[in-house]
Amino acid sequence: MALRIGMIAVGLLLMAVAGVLLGTLSLEQAMTRAWVMQDLRLSRVVIAILAGSALGVAGALTQGVIRNPLASPDLIGVTAGASLAATATLLLFPQLAHAWLIPAAIVGGLVSLLILLWLAGDSKLNPTRLVLVGIALSFWFGALVDWLLSSQPQQINAALVWLTGSLWGRGWSHVWILLPWLLVLLPAAFTLSLKLDLLALGDESAQCLGTDVKRVRLLALILAVTLAAVSVAVCGAISFIGLVAPHLARLLVGGRHLLLMPTAALLGAALLLLADITARTLTPPIELPAGVLTAIIGAPYFIFLLLRYRGW
Amino acid sequence: MIFRTSPLLSVALLLLLTCGFMMALLGGSTFNLQPTHLWQALAGSQTLATELLLSLRLPRVLIAATVGATLAIAGALMQGITRNPLASPALFGINTGAACLLVVGQTLNLPLISNMPLLQTTFGALLAGAAVFLLGGGGTGRLHPTRLVLAGIAVNALFLALTRTLLILDEQAQSVVAWLAGSLADTDWGHWQQLWPAALLGTVAAFTLGPKLNLLALGDETAASLGGSPARVRLHASAVVVLLAGSAVAVSGPIAFIGLMVPHLARLLVGQDHRILLPVTGLLGAALLCWADYLSRLLQYPSETPVGLVLALLGAPFFVWLSRQQQETT
Repeated sequence: MALRIGMIAVGLLLMAVAGVLLGTLSLEQAMTRAWVMQDLRLSRVVIAILAGSALGVAGALTQGVIRNPLASPDLIGVTAGASLAATATLLLFPQLAHAWLIPAAIVGGLVSLLILLWLAGDSKLNPTRLVLVGIALSFWFGALVDWLLSSQPQQINAALVWLTGSLWGRGWSHVWILLPWLLVLLPAAFTLSLKLDLLALGDESAQCLGTDVKRVRLLALILAVTLAAVSVAVCGAISFIGLVAPHLARLLVGGRHLLLMPTAALLGAALLLLADITARTLTPPIELPAGVLTAIIGAPYFIFLLLRYRGW
Repeated sequence: MIFRTSPLLSVALLLLLTCGFMMALLGGSTFNLQPTHLWQALAGSQTLATELLLSLRLPRVLIAATVGATLAIAGALMQGITRNPLASPALFGINTGAACLLVVGQTLNLPLISNMPLLQTTFGALLAGAAVFLLGGGGTGRLHPTRLVLAGIAVNALFLALTRTLLILDEQAQSVVAWLAGSLADTDWGHWQQLWPAALLGTVAAFTLGPKLNLLALGDETAASLGGSPARVRLHASAVVVLLAGSAVAVSGPIAFIGLMVPHLARLLVGQDHRILLPVTGLLGAALLCWADYLSRLLQYPSETPVGLVLALLGAPFFVWLSRQQQETT
């Protein structure tokens, strides 16, 4: 198990190096222009790793709580809520510092979680109902975001790229905004892993073994929402990583959350980095948003899951 | 047929449509249009106002009404054949598929096909519809409602991502963004010429399917024993849906939620009989899109909001409500 995780970590490291170097630069050019590497590329790679791991852990937490392989922060409408709040802040208060985007996105994500729980109106958190209501909610938030964008046409292009999820134009300032949040949130998520293992046994068994089921669920959901919102605030709504990374992790190391969560974090980071590298190098002068690529990879995977899921 | 069963309702519907039509025709303009201008246009006088009415507003409103009717009828047909209250062209990725193929056609710039947007959108609608149907369990014979919706979400996301990629690569994003949200702003008589034959054909075909859809509502076994062929009805109706949605998207872009909302409203008004339901759905859809077009010009007067957004803002809460209902019944 540890070997597998180690291999993923090494792969991630190699990819990070490639991500820094690759692009329209050759190796020699890269060596002579250190500022490109330090100021532009390195910070970008660091952000991809941080945001990707946040998304991966958020997905693992959501799936652990909802016990549905189709659950992920973007499917239950939390990402859409966070991006609505962030877009609103960006467009309505342009003079605010960029650091305020993160609290705004977190508030947006938590509010949409509250709305979701209220609308689903079900203390047992029935998975299919959560997903259906979540999809409806994300449509609504998406419409509101579109409306905000069309009412501020002068900023539509920047906001559009940000909304599909992109790592373009992110620098060290973003890293310092993102890092403290993750330093608090990721360890908090890892401490929940034993409780989540108990939850996987079923509500009754977990209760018997001394877990407060409802509290663990709520705590895990809040953590998941916060993690997703933090990454949305910095990179925009990058879809499907929260869905795919935990699945791949489960295939690799099994269902124990103590191993699952770090693996999901690593895989999420690797996936986002891969998407960013591909987006940058596919058609050199033009950059695709990374979120578009994760959707192109993630949607077929989602379809595959749909075909395999037998719990209807 | 509607006129026989409920004259009051049909008068009310027609009134709603006519009012919406007039408001969309005359209202929300920086140029102060009056009903008298309409009269002058009909009498054949040539002033600036009448020119404006005849060459800009009239085709736009006609297209709004037709697109509204076609999308609503497509939604009613889909809800009929899948017996799923959440079925609609937008939610099942059919609109996005049509839009994606249209963008593909424009980007690749193939000599023959690029001039036939209807062909591209119809093909896209067909592709997306088939994918959702198969993924939703259509192959195994049992369509699960939630599974269908999830398949629709996945197909929708895939086509949307492809469309966005193409737009960014082609650097045309600005001009197409409004169209992608669903907009009637740049429509003219050329679009109308392109829209009406397909819309008319599809609508008539849908109406002839009414009795068969009624049979289908009784359940597949019953329908088969009463002499209908469920598979063939589904195939015919799907072909009509593809034609209707394809023709609408080719002109106005993917407008969401009309196909979801209107059939439900119509069902509340006249009940389940498809022979009456389909025409009422068409009328309501036309009226709704006319009013939405009027609203889209008022919302941020004097600039325009894409009409698809107006509908999404209205329709998404409806969808939330509907998905709650859905869970209570199953």
